[in-house]
Amino acid sequence: MSLARFSAWWNDQSENFYLCFVKNDRWRYITDGLGRTLEVALAAVLLGALLGFILAIIRSTHDKHGRLKFLNALARLYITVIRGTPMTVQLLIAYFIVFSELNDKVLVAILAFGVNSGAYVAEIIRAGIVSIDAGQMEAARSLGLSYTQGMARVVLPQAVRNVLPALGNEFIVLLKDTSIASFIGLDDLARGGSIIRSQTYQAYIPFLAVAAIYLVLVMLFSKLLTRLERHLQRTGA
Amino acid sequence: MTTQSQKSDPFLSDRPVVEPGRPLIEVEDLHKSFGSLQVLKGITTTINKGEVVVVIGPSGGGKSTFLRCLNLLETPTSGRIWFGGEEIVSGGSLQRDGTDLNLSHRARERNLNRYRSDMGMVFQRFNLFPHMTVLENVTMAPLAIRHVSRQAAYDKAMELLSRVGLPDKAAAYPQQLSGGQMQRIAIARALAMEPRVMLFDEPTSALDPEMVGEVLSVMKELAANHMTMVVVTHEMNFAREVADRILFLEGGNILEQGAPEKIFNSPQNARTRDFLGKVKKD
Repeated sequence: MSLARFSAWWNDQSENFYLCFVKNDRWRYITDGLGRTLEVALAAVLLGALLGFILAIIRSTHDKHGRLKFLNALARLYITVIRGTPMTVQLLIAYFIVFSELNDKVLVAILAFGVNSGAYVAEIIRAGIVSIDAGQMEAARSLGLSYTQGMARVVLPQAVRNVLPALGNEFIVLLKDTSIASFIGLDDLARGGSIIRSQTYQAYIPFLAVAAIYLVLVMLFSKLLTRLERHLQRTGA
Repeated sequence: MTTQSQKSDPFLSDRPVVEPGRPLIEVEDLHKSFGSLQVLKGITTTINKGEVVVVIGPSGGGKSTFLRCLNLLETPTSGRIWFGGEEIVSGGSLQRDGTDLNLSHRARERNLNRYRSDMGMVFQRFNLFPHMTVLENVTMAPLAIRHVSRQAAYDKAMELLSRVGLPDKAAAYPQQLSGGQMQRIAIARALAMEPRVMLFDEPTSALDPEMVGEVLSVMKELAANHMTMVVVTHEMNFAREVADRILFLEGGNILEQGAPEKIFNSPQNARTRDFLGKVKKD
């Protein structure tokens, strides 16, 4: 490539960059979208973790003791339906049917993604609980702890530690999945790129920028998770 | 314990008082089946306060199951058990999951937790909590159940760790310890609840031979201090030396019981003779 052609290409790119991000403050689509993506992802992770824990405890208590029959049937139905249907369809059902009265798209997205994530987290945590030696609960019970205390103090801390990599993976999937929130018109990070493209007819720069931001988020999170795992390894099994 | 009044001592509150002259544990016609497999076929015996009872017998004879029925880690199929004069298993009123028909599930669980906190259990495979330090292992139950102060739990734990010879391991994690050390910590953990009886389920069977002695000597020290103990073990020398009474359990029945001299020197039952003959050859 000759120098002249390179400088022409460079000028084009600078101009496009200006068009995509600077003109009319279009960068705001990206930053606002990023904020909304993070808001939805973080809240959904918390909701998913909460639901997942409850479901996992119901499922494993039932499998071990035969109690909580009704709740267990409900939990199984929930997990089967959520894992058996596409996230996009769930989101559309949530927005247009279940929460059709709700005008807050962020809230609907949080609920839809949280409920979805809960089903996956439940199975991960349940696998973690099953992996803990039965002697641990027996030791706790033999000291006089209740089943709930044994779960909370002895079994769950070890179970979560064992499945931390799988949980981290689930959170990464969730973060990226939030990009389909544009199906209900939520102005998240991915839609920010889409809006810029429709206004400027430039596809490369906005979408590559959006992809890069997702990538950086996931890498940052992975790094944090690795650190946490190492920290937990240092303090005990 | 120091000379505190019983009421103000959180370790001793809400405990039923044993009726004088009554054994600490009474077992009557205890049966336990796993599916169609009958493991216990009518065990009747008593354990007196301060007594060291050693249960011996061939593998699969029901020794461990008997011990685990005492603190209801296994739910007996039928039979009755009294602990401190209180009936904790009453014949025929148990459902499949151990629920007493006369009590709500919640009330029964509360009672169960109270009985268990009064019976220390030491397992073959230690079952220390790997995510806690040694100190946390020992203080967890008193803090969670007896609601003692942190300081009191700490003092008690350090006293017990000294007693089992491991005061310098308080900050260590279980996987940094040897098997013998782990088992001694497990004993300290059980003692922290100040139980009225200690149950030992083959406490030295998972240990390397050179570590058996350190665990047995802790147990001997407990016996010397009049702790009530029920010990399932294959350590015949320990049984001979420490036991007040030997139970020979085979095929789900107590075939013979009595003082160690009697059992070891002149066993009456042919099966006992056979078993002891085989053990001595090892």
